[in-house]
Amino acid sequence: MLAIALFAFAGCAALCLAMDKHFTELLGRKPRPEQLLGLRVVGWLLLALALTAAVDHRGWAVGLAELFGMLMAGLCLWVFALPYRPRWLLGLALLSLVLAPFSALGLI
Amino acid sequence: MKSKAAGLPLSYRLAVTSRCLAALLGGYVLAAMVGVLLSQWLPLSRAEAVQIGMMSSFLFYLGAFIWAFATHSAWRAWLGILLPSLALAAINGLTYWMSKA
Amino acid sequence: MKEGFRQAMAWLHTWAGLIFGWLLFAIFLTGTMSYFKPEITRWSQPEVPVRALDLPLALSKAQDYLQRNAADAPSWFIEPPNERTPGITVGWRGGDGPRGFTRKTLDAETGEEIVTRQTRGGDFFYRFHFQLEMPYPWGRWLATFAALMMLVGLVTGIITHKKIFKEFFTFRPGKGQRSWLDGHNAIGVLALPFHLMISYSSLVIFMYMVMPAPILASYDNEQGYFNEVFGGRDSVKASGEKVALQPLPELYRQVLAQAPDARIIWLDVQRPGDRNAQVLFIPDGHERVAVQRGAGWRFNGADGSLAWSARPETLAGTISGGFYGLHMASFAGPLLRWLYFFFGLAGTAVIGTGLVMWLGKRQLKHAKSGTQPFELRLVEVLNIASMSGLILGVAGFFWANRLLPVALEGRAQWEVNAFFAVWLASLVHAVLRPGRRAWGEQLALAALSWAALPLLNALTTGQGLNRSIAAGDWAMAGFDLTALGCGLLFAWTASKMLRQPVQAPKRAPKPAKAAPQPTREAEAS
Repeated sequence: MLAIALFAFAGCAALCLAMDKHFTELLGRKPRPEQLLGLRVVGWLLLALALTAAVDHRGWAVGLAELFGMLMAGLCLWVFALPYRPRWLLGLALLSLVLAPFSALGLI
Repeated sequence: MKSKAAGLPLSYRLAVTSRCLAALLGGYVLAAMVGVLLSQWLPLSRAEAVQIGMMSSFLFYLGAFIWAFATHSAWRAWLGILLPSLALAAINGLTYWMSKA
Repeated sequence: MKEGFRQAMAWLHTWAGLIFGWLLFAIFLTGTMSYFKPEITRWSQPEVPVRALDLPLALSKAQDYLQRNAADAPSWFIEPPNERTPGITVGWRGGDGPRGFTRKTLDAETGEEIVTRQTRGGDFFYRFHFQLEMPYPWGRWLATFAALMMLVGLVTGIITHKKIFKEFFTFRPGKGQRSWLDGHNAIGVLALPFHLMISYSSLVIFMYMVMPAPILASYDNEQGYFNEVFGGRDSVKASGEKVALQPLPELYRQVLAQAPDARIIWLDVQRPGDRNAQVLFIPDGHERVAVQRGAGWRFNGADGSLAWSARPETLAGTISGGFYGLHMASFAGPLLRWLYFFFGLAGTAVIGTGLVMWLGKRQLKHAKSGTQPFELRLVEVLNIASMSGLILGVAGFFWANRLLPVALEGRAQWEVNAFFAVWLASLVHAVLRPGRRAWGEQLALAALSWAALPLLNALTTGQGLNRSIAAGDWAMAGFDLTALGCGLLFAWTASKMLRQPVQAPKRAPKPAKAAPQPTREAEAS
């Protein structure tokens, strides 16, 4: 389940940053359109990986339930903590991105 | 937003009440008729068709609520719910009668 | 009502939300608590000792007990212990219990009957959330209709929320009314799959009751439908020939041989001691989402021969069972169950923030005049009573559980009375006190009464956190810790309310109302 959570969280972060308003606010500079597109692609890719991890873990039914649960939780964490601790969240997102593949391979 | 001042005309209040009734009562009838239609016509076993019918009916109840308050007038609210209900009731009645024959 | 579609939906959202919000808040709060129903029950019955989990032992003890005390009963049931429920519950048809059934709690290791305090425990809140403690079937009808209204609220909310994608990640605290709206939208949208699922599944769960037309059109009577879907409970006839019941641990071993991961939540024994005896082992179905009602391992009780029985799975059955399973979350492990709890609280908060905003926006309009029209005062009182009042009522239930004498006649009902009495008192308090002070005072009392529960527990039962954590009694400890956490949360909200309020009420008009109103930002609390 950790892999699902990590991929999902990183994916949410990427999709948030893929929005001009949030990119500018969080990273302090104006994004180029390619960057936004790239983030969007990466974001959805990470969510797809989360889906794979979920279905792999416990099949389609329970897997989807777990995926939605992790996704919604990650989104809530991101959105509600963002006004208070944006840097922590960015760091957490980066950490999730790095750890996710290891978790998926069962190494963590 | 409609103010809550006491100065709301009676016609408005009646219209709102009418829409509420259309949604609550008419919506239920519509939902039930859709449910029966699906349960009679879906190419599934009897129990399955009934289950799908019941589960789907709620979506139409929801739809009726939206229609009743979105449409231009209270009259249209009722018409938009009652006419389909009557049509479905007719089909359902016919189906039921024919299956018993 | 000549405005556009979105405006009409905003109107519907506001009014459906208000009228049903108070009831829905109570349903969501008690329903959310129900995800920890066994833990709440365990806390409510501290007399039951926690034993190392040994199912075969527990089953043999239960069988011995039933053989000694209910050998002639036509049927038995056994609810085995598990990680969340420490004792064995046994019951049989007959004896002196209510409605012709007798139930007892047994020690999972010694098999002795435990005299526990009479309480409805977690079951009270569970049943309240779909029956509202109203006579059958009215409570169910009302609760199910409220679920439909929740769906109406959700769908109209989605339609009304113009910038649902643009503001997906938006939450701006410290901006008064804007923040309340952001918060309401955020927990609504981010957990939307949960909110939609929980509301729609409630309808599916009682669909046979509230939407019987399809059943009646296809079946001569409802029982025919239930037999086809769930498998009829063919009543087992006694043959009259006495044959000793197979040892239940042996049958359980056979179940495990077939399904090593099976977790048995219920045993049903028909005609124990007869040649035709039937023993049904019912699994919790934790490995799948869709609940399969009527499924289980069925043994002939006399010779131990096994037959798995379940209706053949149909797609429709799996879908409706799926909604049921998603709602009940039996498939959820501890982490996922806490997430369910969290999202249930989120749903509760969506409703609560909506109610607060409904009032706040209109109070702002009357701020200049200084007087409040009766309707707004009514809403204010109902808001306070239905939210902080309810929270106090729940605390009242648990305080009554610890303070009422254990041997008191009918104490289970008295605990329920305490819940309603405190709730009612909070309504009276809300009438007598000015709005903001009422909120602050009730939340402060809630903070005290909730945070003090672990202390109350320790003083009255000796099973406080120091004991329960050391003993690994996580149901007991978890309840105490959660109560403490809730108390702290209420203390924080109380402090916000009790601070010197700004002149104007702190809410500004809701911008989602497409009527051209200036968005006046008022001071945050």
